[in-house]
Amino acid sequence: MSETEHQKCYIYAPPLPEERASKRQRTSKSNPQKHLPERLQTYRKIWSHQEEKIQATLEEADRVTQEKIVNFVSVASQPEPEHRQVSAIPTGLVIAGPSIASHGPFFERLGRRIRDDTNSAYFVLTSGESPNLKTLLKNLIKKATSRVDDDDDDDLGRPSTSSKNGPKLLDFDLGHLQEWQSRNRVQSIVVTIQDSEAFDASILIEIVDLFYSWLDRLPFVLLFGIATSSESFEDRLSGKSLRYLEGQKFDVTQSSEIIEKLFSATVASTDIPLRIGPNLSRRILERQRDHVQNVQDFSNGLKYAYMSHFYANHTSIFLDENVSFEHLSSDMFEAVRILPSFRRWVEGMLEEGQTQEVRQLLQSDQFLFENIIHLVKSGHETLSALSIASTVFTNVRESLQMSPDVPLSSIWTRAASGEMIGSPLLRETMLLIKKIPSDKLVQLLTSMEDLDTASFTIDINAYRHELADLVKRNVNSTPLRSQHDVRNDSLRTTVVAQKVLLSKHKAALSEQDKAYSELVARFHDELDDYFTSTFINPRGLILSEILIYDLKSPHTEVFQPRPRFAIERALASPHDYLGCECCGADLGENGEVSLSGTQPSTAILYQMYLESGALINVSDLWSAFRAIAGDEEEESESKTMALFQRSLAELRYLGLVKPSKKKTDHIAKTMWKGL
Amino acid sequence: MLPDELLSQLNTEFPCRETQLRQLAALYSTHLPSPPLLCAHGLTATGKTSVIKSYLSASEIPYAIISSRECITGRHLLERTMAACLDAREELSARKVDRRPYARTESINTLAVSLGRMMEDWDGGKFVLVFDGIDSQREAPPTLLPALARFGELIPNLSILLISTLPLSSALHKPGIPHLHFPSYTRQSLLTILNTSPPKIFPVPPSADKFPGYTPELAAEDDAWLWNRFLGAVWDSLSKNTGRDLVSYKNTSLRLWREFVRPVVDGTFGTRDFSRLMVNRRHLFQLEDSVLDRIISTPDTTATATAAGKDVLPATPAAAKKAAALGAQHDLPYYTTYLLIAAYLSSYNPSRTDVTYFMKHSDKRKNRRHHASTKLSAKKSRKIPRHLLTPSPFPLDRLLAVFRSLLDGPVPQVADVCTQIATLTSMRLLVRTGQGAAGDMLDTGMRWRVNFGWEYVRRLGRSVGVEVGEYLVGGVDV
Ligand SMILES: Nc1ncnc2c1ncn2[C@@H]1O[C@H](COP(=O)(O)OP(=O)(O)O)[C@@H](O)[C@H]1O
Ligand SMILES: [Mg+2]
Repeated sequence: MSETEHQKCYIYAPPLPEERASKRQRTSKSNPQKHLPERLQTYRKIWSHQEEKIQATLEEADRVTQEKIVNFVSVASQPEPEHRQVSAIPTGLVIAGPSIASHGPFFERLGRRIRDDTNSAYFVLTSGESPNLKTLLKNLIKKATSRVDDDDDDDLGRPSTSSKNGPKLLDFDLGHLQEWQSRNRVQSIVVTIQDSEAFDASILIEIVDLFYSWLDRLPFVLLFGIATSSESFEDRLSGKSLRYLEGQKFDVTQSSEIIEKLFSATVASTDIPLRIGPNLSRRILERQRDHVQNVQDFSNGLKYAYMSHFYANHTSIFLDENVSFEHLSSDMFEAVRILPSFRRWVEGMLEEGQTQEVRQLLQSDQFLFENIIHLVKSGHETLSALSIASTVFTNVRESLQMSPDVPLSSIWTRAASGEMIGSPLLRETMLLIKKIPSDKLVQLLTSMEDLDTASFTIDINAYRHELADLVKRNVNSTPLRSQHDVRNDSLRTTVVAQKVLLSKHKAALSEQDKAYSELVARFHDELDDYFTSTFINPRGLILSEILIYDLKSPHTEVFQPRPRFAIERALASPHDYLGCECCGADLGENGEVSLSGTQPSTAILYQMYLESGALINVSDLWSAFRAIAGDEEEESESKTMALFQRSLAELRYLGLVKPSKKKTDHIAKTMWKGL
Repeated sequence: MLPDELLSQLNTEFPCRETQLRQLAALYSTHLPSPPLLCAHGLTATGKTSVIKSYLSASEIPYAIISSRECITGRHLLERTMAACLDAREELSARKVDRRPYARTESINTLAVSLGRMMEDWDGGKFVLVFDGIDSQREAPPTLLPALARFGELIPNLSILLISTLPLSSALHKPGIPHLHFPSYTRQSLLTILNTSPPKIFPVPPSADKFPGYTPELAAEDDAWLWNRFLGAVWDSLSKNTGRDLVSYKNTSLRLWREFVRPVVDGTFGTRDFSRLMVNRRHLFQLEDSVLDRIISTPDTTATATAAGKDVLPATPAAAKKAAALGAQHDLPYYTTYLLIAAYLSSYNPSRTDVTYFMKHSDKRKNRRHHASTKLSAKKSRKIPRHLLTPSPFPLDRLLAVFRSLLDGPVPQVADVCTQIATLTSMRLLVRTGQGAAGDMLDTGMRWRVNFGWEYVRRLGRSVGVEVGEYLVGGVDV
């Protein structure tokens, strides 16, 4: 005990009970890490492929904006046009949006492009490394002249104003940069202020002033990363600084858009061996929408899911393309045999009386192996078809300009949870197709033309030709209409026996309209069949446990931890965690566990704290505490008091209470449970 | 070059600075001794820097200029001064100076000694040391100015010239210093100066085939004529009232010029149709846009062109631009939006009203209305609407409580909520205040404040379907 007295914290190691609970005992001594290296290798292969896609998508998403900025930089460094006599630092305001975490990667990519495409130097400054002007300049210079600490001996014969003997430039003197520029002769020095909002306005004003003053010697170009808006940025600078800046605004693609693109490139793409299931996707997407908008987090989430699958699931070994029977241990097959989907499958077969096959599946590893390989392959195909169908469906809605605008991510998650068939969304869309006029159908077919046709079975080209023929023969200026189009119905009002009868009549269809109706009907039916056959419920797939990762558990704890909730809950109901009989036994009248002296003293005090108001009388608290935690005897009171004081100190340490000046002997409550 | 020639050349380069140039010529000439100290002062853009620099370089007196703008600390100023003097020295004598004795200039004393040594080595020539903007030197030690003022007496042949915005006499603790005042330019002077370089009316000269008679000389004459009148108009309508200095005036004029001459370039008006042009382009002179300094100068050609065609006053482009920009803003995540709204309400509502506004069990809307109306009628006469006051600080838990009661469903207590608060803080939408501002983020004593206005929060609210005004004590009459 004496050792731990002065330690702030220590690892509590309770004495181990002699025997662990029987249900937890492992029955066999199998190696839990079997085939781990192979699984990891498969993981790496598959993930690196995904990562490439993510990178490519990101680059593509930024491409237009980045090109504009690069252009701006290369134009800015050119000699000024004659009529522009106002001299100012060329400045780009990059509206990068509120997803601060993605600013870093964005400006990094931008830097690469600027260095590659223009003869410019590019330096990024962040608020963290620029607490004041001096440090900012030092950093800038260090980045430019990289590595050269001023005591380092100069490269041979480099012309240098700071010769060893004479006065040296101070390390925040932009003269260093000038010297560097005289050697490198870049066309422009692009300085990026990555998180302009987090900089002190005074520092921004100072650097603008300073850079402007040096502009005749150093060709500065400033880029400001802005999370809010260019107006609020301008408002923070003084008029004088604004006069020294001149430039343009660049809008970076909204991160919700990028996330959507990433989603279709990764989760909803066609050629991926491991699917992220709908629940997890929904979780990831919701988090992006509600809490953070952050591309990095999105890809981290995916990566973690992939890792979880391959690290923890033995059967994931079958996702390796080159898996061979000889290398697998029989444990793997046992693992497959206990999968729920496998059991369902086998039971189904039994009901159909295929006992022979079932026996083989259960007994022959070789036979099972062949089946697994086959099932995994066909499962991939089914899932790819589902993804393609989602894309087709999104495409159809887009080209029909249907509202509400449902993005692919949402359609995919619905499809992947098997909710598509019979959904209002699908029904409504198919109805609209029934009524589609020819001009819209042309658009629709055109938009569907460049779809991945591998598993898309409808022959779009045939329809296009047929439609083109019909349209050519159409003499009217109006587009062709199908028989379901409401504009082909006319209302007829007749008065029969003093009653007004409203009756719908089909207007007589022209020959062409008839032909067109027939075409639309065929197209509709075919598309309907296609959707019905592809929008299956993936959870019904045999071996879906291998193909799809959809576990909520580690993901939520890792990406959305609940620290405050955890502390509050542990303090409010310690018996849940302690699992001892003494604390949880006596339930109060309304089912709540009441206080008991055996609970940890901090927990007791916390529960009293919960019941009190914003100001707490400490002496009242003490008497309540003593009533629960203490016993009647006099001599143990000092011990109870010690416990009380320690608990109170702990509450204060957790930030739950603080001393109050409002009332003597009172403390103030600073945190409320559940916030 | 003879002094007279020199002066007249400088006078053409810098019109309206004859007095100052004459005085400079009298004080600093190659042969006569110069005063040990001179203080040149004048408001911004009165030509102090450029006139003095041009004079010194033309008169061939050795000099060095140190701009305080480029010196980050007092020490930096000393180091740069020494380096600049040595450079000047080297350039003049065209031989290497042994710089070793001057390696470090830690204090003003060292500078005095080093300068003395340097001047001794110098064979009797004079040297002018100019400190530009010395009054705005960052982190200047209090002794800097008085010490510099005495350098000229301590070191023979050295003349110190201080340039500042206001006269320095008292700061130098030294009586009888000669001052050279650069007065602000009058309207007439400004016109004279800016008239020396009129911009072109036609960015590309009209084709020689169509207008064979329109020679470059003729064009230049037209440019000057129109520019002169235009300048007068700009001064009288805009710059007289704001941005009176040379640079602002010039910027404003240049910003308006292309728009102004557009009808001439189009061919609608002739180059000398000044009065018709004025009537046609009068909206340019009625808006504040061109006097405001902005980073983004988008000459919104299409909008102004159509406006000009109809000859009506367009809605102020500043407002239009603002509206457009507001629309184009990035969306915030759902809960972040609510957090901001909650923060606004916590800042602007007194905490005692929270029970009325945010109790879960009461019918919010009804309660709110009722409350608002009684409040209004009771104290109407002497109340400023809350949203016009400054925001008051609030503790974090209050923000979280309001946040939760604004939302209908339960929000899990995830760490993401705290992350968002941190993000909003680094975006300066929320600001930490009070004694804990610099300290620990997790300190519960920490208080927060919003750093955005009513317009912003109202728009936020509408994006998630919340009328923020309904929750604001006292309501908002908009
Ligand atoms: N009399 C003048 N004639 C022509 N240009 C002038 C005149 N006075 C100032 N300027 C111009 O105005 C600008 C600002 O002058 P500057 O010398 O920097 O002013 P100050 O140092 O007083 O702030 C310079 O571009 C300068 O060329
Ligand atoms: Mg100046």
